[in-house]
Amino acid sequence: MMILGITLPVLPLLVGLPLLAAIAVLLISSHRWRTSISTVIAGLQLLIVILAIQTTEASYHYTLGGWGAPLGIGLAADGLSLALLLITAVLVLMISLYSAWYFSDSSKATRFWPIWWLLVAGLNTAFIAADAFNIYVALEMIGLSAVALVALAGTRMALVAALRYALAGLLGSLCYLLGVALLYRAYGTLDLAQLSAQMQADPLSWAALSLISVGLLLKTALLPLHFWLPPAHASAPAPVSAALSALVVKASFFLLVRFWLEVFDPAVTVTAANFLGVLGAIAIFYGCIGACRAQRLKLLVAYSTVAQLGYLFLLFPLAFTNSSLEMFGDAAVAAVTYFIIAHALAKAAMFLAAGNILVSCGHDEINNLNGLARHQPLALFTFAIAGVSLIGLPPSGGFIAKWLLLNVAIDSGQWWWVIVVLAGGLLTAIYIARVLNVAFSQMDSLNISEEMTVTRSRTIGMAACGLTLAILTILLGFNAEWILVLLNGSSPITDAGVVR
Amino acid sequence: MFLKLETRETGSDVGLSTLACFLLGVVITTLSAALIIAVIVSDKAAPELASLAMQNLNTSGVENPVTAVLLNFRSYDTLLEIAVLLIVAVAVLPDQCFAGKTSLPAKRFLSRNVKHQVNPVLAGLLKWLVPLALLVGGYLLWIGAYAPGGAFQAGAVIAGAGVALSLAGQHDFTWQTTSVRITLSLGLLVFIVVAAINNLITGTTLQYPVSYAGLFILIIEVAATISIAAILLLLFVCLKAIAEPAREGDTQ
Repeated sequence: MMILGITLPVLPLLVGLPLLAAIAVLLISSHRWRTSISTVIAGLQLLIVILAIQTTEASYHYTLGGWGAPLGIGLAADGLSLALLLITAVLVLMISLYSAWYFSDSSKATRFWPIWWLLVAGLNTAFIAADAFNIYVALEMIGLSAVALVALAGTRMALVAALRYALAGLLGSLCYLLGVALLYRAYGTLDLAQLSAQMQADPLSWAALSLISVGLLLKTALLPLHFWLPPAHASAPAPVSAALSALVVKASFFLLVRFWLEVFDPAVTVTAANFLGVLGAIAIFYGCIGACRAQRLKLLVAYSTVAQLGYLFLLFPLAFTNSSLEMFGDAAVAAVTYFIIAHALAKAAMFLAAGNILVSCGHDEINNLNGLARHQPLALFTFAIAGVSLIGLPPSGGFIAKWLLLNVAIDSGQWWWVIVVLAGGLLTAIYIARVLNVAFSQMDSLNISEEMTVTRSRTIGMAACGLTLAILTILLGFNAEWILVLLNGSSPITDAGVVR
Repeated sequence: MFLKLETRETGSDVGLSTLACFLLGVVITTLSAALIIAVIVSDKAAPELASLAMQNLNTSGVENPVTAVLLNFRSYDTLLEIAVLLIVAVAVLPDQCFAGKTSLPAKRFLSRNVKHQVNPVLAGLLKWLVPLALLVGGYLLWIGAYAPGGAFQAGAVIAGAGVALSLAGQHDFTWQTTSVRITLSLGLLVFIVVAAINNLITGTTLQYPVSYAGLFILIIEVAATISIAAILLLLFVCLKAIAEPAREGDTQ
């Protein structure tokens, strides 16, 4: 990419910049400098991604060290990568701002910032990876930093959840690594493009596909491998929960899409794709019921993530209709990418709002949140808008996402997924309404712990970050074209004649 | 960070029933058998990569193919691995490291604990052992360019010297200072700086100019050795801090 006559290595910068930020915030001990540097670098990262999207052709490639595959490691970014890099950069900026207030007077901040930036570096690495082993290293970075960030909460519950998360993540990594070893044995290369070119449907490929899939499913928390997610996401500090639900699980899902749709394409069977779809459907119902039963607000939001992740897995049966990707592959990927972005914005907004409520009330027991509407109107407003998007009501990003998903389901003649998507929306409405119902009742009787004396500027700053994300969720509903064009150069919306 | 977590949970017996164990065994055996059969029935790819690495060895700046892969052909992975180590280091740094300016007066990284009585034989042994370990570490670092060795091995041996000092009990390590944090992140920092410099020289990130490849690799390895040694020592000292109170409790 050329800027002002200087050629910038965009892809290496997206990894190098967060790593440098991590070192800088580790060495600096002044809180103000740490947050300023983080904000500036987060802004810079967003700028680079936006410029990369604006200036280029369909995809980016980079050959590190000048060796080229299979000897060296390459980097690659297509439309899907760029979309995920963009949402990551946006959320990193907002969550960094939020964290500047959230961790403002705590010694946890010093540990938070370096690990946070190492997590961001890991996410970017995963999104631009083009090498199977490099993906393993990215998964390790993401997994370890995510665990450390969950443990940052320091409560006994958080530590137990973090330890369980660490063990689940480790098992996932090892499964993945074994799969990669099998791939190397069978094809003698680790480069994804070369693997894809040689891929055959034989037992070894199926074994590798199963191992890699189990590893990544563990990290994506698809039912029944979701057991670690609700406690970990519920007990982490609020900005960490937001990043975990919005970005971290999406990284392993993104890799799953890479492997299933691009690398293992010839080896994937319709039965396997449908199996993932069915697990996704069960996850939707299970997650919604879990959210309806949850006693704490953050646990509710965490179960909601289990449900929303289920929707993503509808991609596989939709894309592999008649075992060929040609018919509906692009449309399904576009719908699911849109879903990922809409969910990331909404879920991050929701967790940030929940964090606000937790900080200002001192607890997040749903039944004791009476009158929240008067006490914390901004946070509740954010929560409600994000909820609208999760349910899939117009004019939110969630609506467009579900609309696209329904479209593909009907076009490909798989009407049963339509029922799943619509029923999931209804169940989502129930648990969102449950919170709002309590918040708007008995306005005078909010239980607030006495020791909670949070400065007003701090809560307003935090609420503003959440609100911005919630507003972006709505704006996303009005600007659907932009992301779809980014994805595959053409817009499935206009092609299908749905909108406009 | 996990120091606060009590590892022994009382009253929660999570043993599986015999039937569950049997079923689990059957499932695992079946899966393993399927995996073994899949490996046996399929063809092995020709090992082209190894010969490709050997062909490019003369332009890599080192003579040891493993080092060439780790620090030239696939240096990006190594850079990220060092970042992974840094994550672990930041996660386990003792809490008081982050207490800010109000903490204890700045102590040196390695200080002598005069109160602790040490067996003279042990003290004499350490006088030999520690410099020897440092020497071996330096040798491993240097020989990595020609034969098996390198930053990870050297770092482990040097950390071993620290472990010996820590176990003898006559020395204390302090992790509070900024210089410790610089040491921990030095490997990653130098690696990134070298990558950036090479980007200016050759126009490609992590591509060394052929005639200086050996020098750049050595610079990275020296910095990485220091950081790896510090991080491994940190891990040991932190784990020792968890184990120690329990052990004292047992003896009393």
